[in-house]
Order: sequence, then C-alpha cells, then structure tokens
Amino acid sequence: MINDLKAIMNVPGAPSREALIADKLSEMIKPYVDEVNKDPLGNVIAVKHGKAKEKQKIMFCAHMDEIGFIVTYIQDNGLVRVTSAGYIDYIAASNCRVRFENGTVGVLCPEGKTEPKDLKADKFYIDLGVKTKKEAERRVKIGMTGAVVPSCVKLAGKRYAGRPFDDRVGCYILVEAAKKVKAPANDIYFVFSVQEEVGCRGSRTASFNVRPDIGIAVDVTPSGDVVGTGTNLCVKLGDGAAIKVKDNSVMCDQKLVASLHELAKKKNIPYQTEVLTYGGTDASSMQTVAGGSRAGGISIPIRFCHTPNEIIDMTDVEACVDLVAAVCEEKDI
Amino acid sequence: MAKGIELLEKLCQAFGPTSCEYDVADVICEQLEGKYDEHTVDFIGDHVFRIKGKTDKKLMLSAHMDEVGLMISGIDEHGYLHFQPVGGFDVKVLCGRKLFVGNYGKEKISGLIASKAIHQQSAEERGKATPIDKMYIDIGATSKEDAEKYVEVGDYAVFDSDFVKFGDGMIKGKAVDDRLGCAILCDVIDYIHENKIVPDFDLYFCFTVREEVGRSGALVTANRIQPDMALVLEATAVGDIADTPDHKRVADTGKGPTVSFMDNGTAYLPEMVDFAMGLGEKHNIPCQLKRYVSGGNDAGHIHKSSGGVKTIAVSCPTRYIHSASCVFNSADYDSMYRLARQTALCPVDETPVK
Repeated sequence: MINDLKAIMNVPGAPSREALIADKLSEMIKPYVDEVNKDPLGNVIAVKHGKAKEKQKIMFCAHMDEIGFIVTYIQDNGLVRVTSAGYIDYIAASNCRVRFENGTVGVLCPEGKTEPKDLKADKFYIDLGVKTKKEAERRVKIGMTGAVVPSCVKLAGKRYAGRPFDDRVGCYILVEAAKKVKAPANDIYFVFSVQEEVGCRGSRTASFNVRPDIGIAVDVTPSGDVVGTGTNLCVKLGDGAAIKVKDNSVMCDQKLVASLHELAKKKNIPYQTEVLTYGGTDASSMQTVAGGSRAGGISIPIRFCHTPNEIIDMTDVEACVDLVAAVCEEKDI
Repeated sequence: MAKGIELLEKLCQAFGPTSCEYDVADVICEQLEGKYDEHTVDFIGDHVFRIKGKTDKKLMLSAHMDEVGLMISGIDEHGYLHFQPVGGFDVKVLCGRKLFVGNYGKEKISGLIASKAIHQQSAEERGKATPIDKMYIDIGATSKEDAEKYVEVGDYAVFDSDFVKFGDGMIKGKAVDDRLGCAILCDVIDYIHENKIVPDFDLYFCFTVREEVGRSGALVTANRIQPDMALVLEATAVGDIADTPDHKRVADTGKGPTVSFMDNGTAYLPEMVDFAMGLGEKHNIPCQLKRYVSGGNDAGHIHKSSGGVKTIAVSCPTRYIHSASCVFNSADYDSMYRLARQTALCPVDETPVK
C-alpha cells in the first residue's frame, strides 16, 4: 500500500510538466476503468461507466502537479537561478536538495547573510557541483523545472513524513477507490489535473470537457493540531476524512456536504468537517466552469504542507478511499 | 526594415485606451479590407479575421488593441481634470507628459499632466514621486464650465508621443504594447494574401480588447473560437538596462523575440516552448527564452478557455514599456514577424496539435 503511494510521489511533475506522472497514473488506473483520455493541457480523465438508468456525472479531481522551481538564468560560474512554480516556503526549502525533471540533482542555497525575512526566490541559487556555465548547461537549461527531492519515511503508528503528499496522496486515493468500486451507480470520472498549484488551471479545462453534475476535489487540507497555526483550523490529523464546507476559493454545495456526512455515518467511515480559512482547490473551478456543478471536497489532513516534510496519517487516507468508493456506489448523492 | 513599421506608426498614433479601441480597429479594418474570408466583431469589440485553411484545426493568432491610459474622474472649479489610471502605471512616468484627451467619436484635445512646481513643494514632498491624486491634467481651460465644453467625466487620456526612429534601427513610440503585435498580424495577413497561400491551419487573426484591464477580450474571443492552438503576440519588458543584475534581466534587445516558458498567468506547455524555439532554429530566426517570470498576457485566459488550448506567447523586447516612450529594435520586429508567419503557415502535423 505505502509502496504504491511512494511510487506515485517519486515521479517529477512541476506545474505544466506533468507528462511523466500522467503516464504513471494512467497506467496505474487503466485496469480498473473503462477508458482513459488526456486533454490538451495534459489532464488525465479516467471514466468508469455507471449502471443506473438516470445517471449523473460525478467528477473526482486530484491534482498531479507538485510545487517546484523553474530555471531562469545560468551564471558564468555555473550557479543556477530559479523562481517558484507554485507557492514555496523558502525558509523550509533552504539548503534542500532539488531534483530536476531529467534527474540532475543540486542544492538550493540562499545568498550568504540573507535575513530569514528576506528569503524569497530571487535570493536563491542552485549549486549543481559544477564550476562553469558550460558544465551547468549540459545538465539543465533555462525553463527546466525541478522540485525538492521526494522522500517518504515512517514515523510512529501509521504516520509518514516526506513530500510531495500534496496532492499525490489524492491521486493515490483515486486509484485505490477505482480498484475498490466494482459497479458504480453513476458515471464516475477520475481526473488527475494539471497546474493546480499555479491557480487551479487544469481543472477548469477538465471540467469543461467532462461537464460534471457533481465535482469533488480530493486534496490535502492543513490540520490545526500543531503549535501556532495562528488561525482556527478545526481539522485534526488522524480523525478521518475531512468533508469540506469551505476554503478561500469555494463555498461547497450544502446538500452535497450533508450527503457526504450521512454516507460516512452510514458506512462507519471516520470523518470530520473541514472549514478552511485560506487556500483553494480544484473544487472552485469545477463549481463555476461552463454551466457549473455542485461542488465539494474530500480532504486529507496534512501537517506542514508545502514543506520538504509534510506529515500525513494513513488512517485518514484509508477513510478517504472508503468515502470516495462509497460515493461511487451510491445512486442518490 | 519590415514594411509593417509604417502601419505600426499609424497604429501607435491611434487613440485606443482599454474599452475604447475603436480608432485602432478602424485602422486595422481599413488595412485588411478584402484580404480575408470572414470578419466578425463581437459585442465587446474584438475583431476576428478568418483565413480558411485546408484542415479544420483552428489556430488563433492574437494581439490586443488597447493601450494603457487614464480616465477623467473629475473636473475642478479651475478647469483642471483629475484622473485614474486605466492599466498598470508607474506614477513616475506621468509627470509633465503631453496627452490627448477625448473619447470615441470626439475630437481629441491636447493636455498635459501638471503638478506642483518644485518651488512650492514642502521639504517632505521634494524628491518623491507625486501620488496620482495630487496630479492633474491642464487642458488650458479657465474654469469648470470652460473645461466642460471639451471634456466630460469618463473620457480618456493617452500619451501624446511621436513615433521616432533613432540609433541603429531603434524605434520609440507610445502604445507599442501591443500595437506591435497588431501590426505583425496585419503583415502576416498581407503576406498570405499577396502570395495567394492556402494555409494548413484554419487561421483566426484576433485583435482583442481590454488586455490591460482583466483581459476579458481574449477570454470572450477564445471561448467563441475554441481554437486548437494559440499564438499570442505581445510586447514584453526587457530589463536590459543599467543597474539590473544579469539574472534579473528579462531578455536582451536585438536578440530576437522572446518565447515565454512561464509568467504570472501561464505555465506554458513544454511542447509549445520547444515548438516555437524549434521553428526559429529551423528558419534561422533569432529567438530567446524570456528569462524572468513576471507579468502576464492574453495567454493566461486563452490556454484555460473552453476545453484547454495549447498556447505560446512570443513577445518583442520593449524597453520602458507602459510609458510614453517605449523603445524597441526594428530587427526584433522583423524576426517576430517571420516567426509569426512561419507559425501561421506551419503544417498541422508539424505542430503539437497533430
């Protein structure tokens, strides 16, 4: 189980560079669905047809892209300048190893004597271990992307630390749910979206192509059970699948929220309510594209999101798999 | 020098702030008369000229007609005009500038941006940029009533700035962003018309409105056409000026148009970046990657419109963009024109759309 998740986390995929992870996920989900398609921006759309007479289209969306860096300039001494692709916490990323899409590894270093408050993209460079621009250009080029080296280590119990759980754990949940569901009631669209980290762009075109009746984002949500979050976050790590009510990008469909609560209760799936005071998800674009859809989210609690050591609890992940599968099998949502 | 430069001069001199692009559209329509298969204008003013292709694959080529400008927000008792920016301005480029004030269908009158003379400034005010609400436009009126004979609230103002050739192929003018893209689109249409070419792609030449504020023109146009591929022609900031360190320079003037891999509105698909750079290499057209991630353009809306559009943005390096004196190199214009032409005439199966 965890090995499948690790395999998904290990494939690079910065925003707009999701081709490799798209291939990986297509291959993983293919045996369990009726068809797998790709749209012009690279979204993977896997369909499992339902058996009910009057069917709805239910779209689950987990994003494939991870936050990363993009090369902007190579200096004469071979040091590489980058900028962010998605929101990077530069204090957390300082002096971490970065892997580029072709496998080249370097270290992300802040310019000397930079105050912590000044740690921004333009104060950083990547040291590839080379001495000249020429040597660097043999390894990376302008426009190439990278990300902090992926990792996943076990902590106590069923908790794991590493990256990128955001949102490869959501992708993993969709694959596991597709395996579990034998005969869905409605038409189910499992979508692995691109470019969420730069503004939920991929899910826009995917929703246009799918035209769902119901859109459910499966993404991580920050848990409030750590020191000094500064805001009132109600989600707790290990307390089960988080059913989204709102974040900064979406007010979820209240009937859908109620249905998800009822379903979780009925099936004895541990769940909690998510009211997020910031952030955004693909639910926002599913809700408003074309004629719109009833949108919501099933979220995985996460600590230290967007850092090299995000922490998740596999009991939450299992609950999310069960809840997604339960939605697929339920006719009236 | 590309012949389009003459047209560009006309386009740059036209009065066309955001949402008031009619004069620019008139110049374009006159220029393109009889050279297309179909011409449509939508309800917000986007002009689309179609040249039918051999296939049904649609290529959208787009440039925006609007320029940054000012909107008159009040007229005071002395006949001075107060204003708000329409589009992104550095207030430092405004002081002392000559302007044309007016609106569509109205005579444009001269004005200039004035503010307190240095003698009257307090110690605190000296050496600082005057904020916009302390600047005003002087149209030579003697009173509110006098000013109201010429101007009403809601009218616009744009820079009054000559189109000047100087140095080795350098050109200075206002509104280069993005009349330059418009001129290139016209040049490409001219070329196709003169040589009686039937392109592979079904071509949609789009002259969009309202890029400088919200980009709604491109959004509407892209959703209407639903193209398979899009090329956005733009002007981009350069940063190849004194005191900018090398790694913060966006591009170099004279080294050809820039191809973007990422900006604040779009993360361009790698196959599109490779396609544009590869086309340049194949046809010996100098091109450069835009090196700094900043700004945005119509591609931001186009690529995520309808079911998704493979989009690339190609821009002319332009110094002092969004000022009265934008400066670019005519050799870059020429290279950008050739790259746009090669893209328009590229066989579909040699592009990422195949």
